[in-house]
Amino acid sequence: MGETTETFYDVIRRQGISRRSFMKFCSLTAASLGLGPAFAAKIANAMETKPRIPVLWLHGLECTCCSESFIRSAHPLVKDVVLSMISLDYDDTIMAAAGHQAEAILEEVKTQYKGRYILAVEGNPPLKDGGVYCMPGGTPFVDKLKYMAEDAQAIISWGSCASWGCVQAAKPNPTEATPVHKVIKDKPIIKVPGCPPIAEVMTGVLTYILTFERMPDLDRQGRPKMFYSQRIHDKCYRRPHFDAGQFVEAWDDDNARKGYCLYKMGCKGPTTYNACSTTRWNEGVSFPIQSGHGCIGCSEDGFWDNGSFYDRVTDIKQFGIESTADKVGVAAATTVGAAVAAHAALSLVKRAQQKGSQSDEN
Amino acid sequence: MSTEHVTEARTSVYVYEAPVRVWHWINAASIVVLAVTGYFIGNPLPSVGGDTSDMYVMGTIRFVHFSAAYIFAVGFIGRIYWAFVGNHHAHQLFTLPFWRGEFWRELFFEMRWYLFMERAPKKYEGHNPLAQFFMFFAVMLLSIFMICSGFALYGEGQGIGSWQYSLFGWMFDIFTNSMLLHSWHRLGMWVLVVFIIVHVYAAIREDIMSRQSIISTMISGERMFKDSKD
Amino acid sequence: MATTPNGFNLDNSGRRVVVDPVTRIEGHLRVEVNVDENNVIRNAVSTGTMWRGLELILQGRDPRDAWAFTQRICGVCTGTHALTSVRAVEDALDISIPENANSIRNLMQLTLQVHDHLVHFYHLHALDWVDVVSALNADPKATSELAQSISKWPLSSPGYFKDVQGRLKKFVESGQLGPFKNAYWGHPAYKLPAEANLMAVAHYLEALDFQKDIVKIHAIFGGKNPHPNWLVGGVPCAINLDGEGSVGAINMERLNMVSSIIDRCIEFTEQVYIPDLLAVASFYKGWLYGGGLSSKSVLSYGDIPDHANDYSAANLMLPRGAIINGDLSTVHEVDQRDPEQIQEFVDHSWYTYEGDAKGLHPFDGQTNPHFELGAGVKGDAKRIVNIDENAKYSWIKAPRWRGHAMEVGPLSRYIIGYAQGNPEFKEPVEAVLKHLDAPVSALFSTLGRTAARGLECQWAAHKMRYFFDKLIANIKAGDSATANTAKWDPAAWPKSAKGAGFTEAPRGALGHWVEIADGKIKSYQCIVPTTWNGSPRDAQGNIGAFEASLMDTPMADPEQPLEIIRTLHSFDPCLACSTHVMSPDGQEMAEVKVR
Repeated sequence: MGETTETFYDVIRRQGISRRSFMKFCSLTAASLGLGPAFAAKIANAMETKPRIPVLWLHGLECTCCSESFIRSAHPLVKDVVLSMISLDYDDTIMAAAGHQAEAILEEVKTQYKGRYILAVEGNPPLKDGGVYCMPGGTPFVDKLKYMAEDAQAIISWGSCASWGCVQAAKPNPTEATPVHKVIKDKPIIKVPGCPPIAEVMTGVLTYILTFERMPDLDRQGRPKMFYSQRIHDKCYRRPHFDAGQFVEAWDDDNARKGYCLYKMGCKGPTTYNACSTTRWNEGVSFPIQSGHGCIGCSEDGFWDNGSFYDRVTDIKQFGIESTADKVGVAAATTVGAAVAAHAALSLVKRAQQKGSQSDEN
Repeated sequence: MSTEHVTEARTSVYVYEAPVRVWHWINAASIVVLAVTGYFIGNPLPSVGGDTSDMYVMGTIRFVHFSAAYIFAVGFIGRIYWAFVGNHHAHQLFTLPFWRGEFWRELFFEMRWYLFMERAPKKYEGHNPLAQFFMFFAVMLLSIFMICSGFALYGEGQGIGSWQYSLFGWMFDIFTNSMLLHSWHRLGMWVLVVFIIVHVYAAIREDIMSRQSIISTMISGERMFKDSKD
Repeated sequence: MATTPNGFNLDNSGRRVVVDPVTRIEGHLRVEVNVDENNVIRNAVSTGTMWRGLELILQGRDPRDAWAFTQRICGVCTGTHALTSVRAVEDALDISIPENANSIRNLMQLTLQVHDHLVHFYHLHALDWVDVVSALNADPKATSELAQSISKWPLSSPGYFKDVQGRLKKFVESGQLGPFKNAYWGHPAYKLPAEANLMAVAHYLEALDFQKDIVKIHAIFGGKNPHPNWLVGGVPCAINLDGEGSVGAINMERLNMVSSIIDRCIEFTEQVYIPDLLAVASFYKGWLYGGGLSSKSVLSYGDIPDHANDYSAANLMLPRGAIINGDLSTVHEVDQRDPEQIQEFVDHSWYTYEGDAKGLHPFDGQTNPHFELGAGVKGDAKRIVNIDENAKYSWIKAPRWRGHAMEVGPLSRYIIGYAQGNPEFKEPVEAVLKHLDAPVSALFSTLGRTAARGLECQWAAHKMRYFFDKLIANIKAGDSATANTAKWDPAAWPKSAKGAGFTEAPRGALGHWVEIADGKIKSYQCIVPTTWNGSPRDAQGNIGAFEASLMDTPMADPEQPLEIIRTLHSFDPCLACSTHVMSPDGQEMAEVKVR
């Protein structure tokens, strides 16, 4: 990340582009905006100093909740991120250009900022049938993703779609929706999971990269340790009720009103790595457990296929959709217990018979 | 080896050395504690009232579970050590003569005996082949799985910098969602429960019906033979 | 040249223009039009270019979990699918919810309306009307005078606008235009003076700051936004005003926060959004294209039940009904369960029906994905150059109400409310028309759609106050229940059940249909607003609302499709919503043929 201090001008000079061509580019930029030559000089000056790092934000199969969350960021405000920190050159959800004017930006940034832009991916590519289930711009998203990843400096996988697959990859995954890291293998990938991730976590990861000019330290699964190294349960303000053995037993019961632990209501806080219980949501107003509903584990891999959100002992998918460990275990123990009893009875009968025949022989 | 037949007319042989016997009973006790506490960690007891800061019901259950888990794990490590330094019966638990046809023939013989298709069982100093088969899978491999998954889950609470997570965090590369590992850890508990039912029954039955002692052997270490026939 | 049954003259002989991706929408949409020698659009084709199969994924799941899955249909209109889902499940299982839960759900749904409309106007739609770069030429003093002449909003000093302009200038001078790159600045279809543009840019940024506060109401009641939590049988948040542990429940502090956000919503809508809307409209009132189907056939299911558990038209605060063939004198009753009323067709969608099924009601719905490019397609499945509208051409199905293609959304709701003579809808519409000195027919346009959305935002902000007061009154009367758990346990459910749930999402009529058998979801169907609006042609050749709205619009420069995206944006399209299917037998797997 150290080379981010290299300016746009340095790079194009290194690539053998003359100063004359550079100035022409700046004039064209100014002209395209209907601005005078005075602006061209200012643009040239800005380019020769430190440019904002270009971010290209692609959307695959997704629901746009990550973009919506991103614009909720309170610190920094998203307008400051977009106007002063990064150069969000492509994001189909908010960009002014459309159609081929929009697609041209991708090509331009890929060439001009080769190896220096960040590719932010929201959603994931479906691989089935060549990817026809997501065809923005008339081409399969998977092709677009691979093409744009080629010259990216790093990839940010926004949300559970890009990180794990999320809802469209839940059983039976009809479109073979596939997370980014299974398609792109040769680039550093930062997973920022959650459905969606917390706004300040998203801007936090991005501004960390810009401020410290390095990639965040990642955990075993590729998530930034700064936000994903502890479980919601570890920092939950209802944890004392868990340790005490004080649980909500039914919705809106006395214990619910007292704010007891939601463990028995299926809360997945104990198995979910996220910052919800500390950073919390929407400028720290609340998080799911604080508002009375258990965590559904939305930042974890395959959280859709771990049984009902309201079960404590959840399904094991290999045993079919309705089997929990307890169901399997009780069934097995009962069956084996009955078999043992029957076997014991039969053994006694056999033994009696044998004794009888032995005494006959004697 | 484990399956060799006793041909001399001996009435007893020293099979289980003291460390093995001690391990067996400590192991048995810790499994019972682990299963009971584990069950209530997944399905907690009814809520308690009162001052939250005075109560530590769930905390205590978990503490007991983790303590028993350490005993279980340390015992298992000790048992591995004894497999190297103990007598030849001591490493039977860790071996499965997979490529020996005789082992499988005798295993099927033993199954026929349990299915009342053989009139009389054979004599064994150590485990009979069927028992060895179950010991290998249900005790040895399952114990390893339970220790690895258990410490991985415990490591989550200790933090990703803890030695538990460093040593066992790889479990989350296989079970990528911790909830899934919880479920499999719990399923492992049920497999152990089923094994215990069969094991206790078979031990009592063999004690009565087979040609050698079983239960007392795990107390005294001496395998008593009830007859001198081959 | 052909005339559609719903009255549009299509001519695809002229130059073909493609816009893909259509940006500033949710999801992936493609549009192709043919323009004549005068650059007037004579044929329009809209294609949904994504499919996820969510309803198939729902099969075999616990119905109590369905809200979480369906909520992920869309993160922009977050919550509305979840609400529709819990209503469908409650309808199937005959579960009634407490009065407080109804008020809280309405507060959340209205919060979404306000948030979604505001974000749509400023951040998705404004750039179709506002030339950002032109704002650099504005005089801050004149901008201040303009702002103060239309509103008492305090952020209006010359210094304030100078600062905003300065920041914009610095941004443009950087040469890195970010999201404003390559756009249509200076396009002749932009008509605002520089000062109005600068004011709009300032409000674009203010609205961006404010929108994050609106949704804190979702965080209070549902724990987070986007994607708050919901509950079959009520709401998950318990109310505890003064008992033990009330600091962790809905208490006075939480209610005060809700109340203050409602105040700010009313204030921002009335002092910023509506004045901006009227100011922008006054410069564009001659641009009355984009009427779509609004002057012909509109549909609304109605929403915001005043009292809990009563979904009859009389109890719904948003109007319910259907108008067909432009006959405003008759508002037809709508029944989501009637198999004759709502049907979906797939003649031009990438699905097939088994047998010779023509239109299917959602309770009988089936869809077998079948991607097939028509003979007239240019390009291939790796690169589509031009689509063939005579064959299958979209992942969106074609829903019809009694055979009619319908338009849904705020404008449809206002037209129906207007036709019913409901003063809550009729009076604001008349006031706006009077202010702009425009005829009623001006309503049936891109601008009319945009204006109705603004009026509805204001309406919703006031209704938030109504339900907040209602919630307080009910708690005061001694009722603090928020959930009915009598049928929480699946053991209490019938062996099989069917239910329909509906809401008025920000974008229009939204319905979910669920069939439950043995405690699990047997089938699940959604017809969402963009399925109606973005519908492709049907077998009879009726075109959908998006397509209809582009017809006969003159373009200044077909290379710069500002007019097309302006009109499409007025619908606030949501493509992830509109494209998902299932089959009743679970046998569905896609079949792909490329010719």
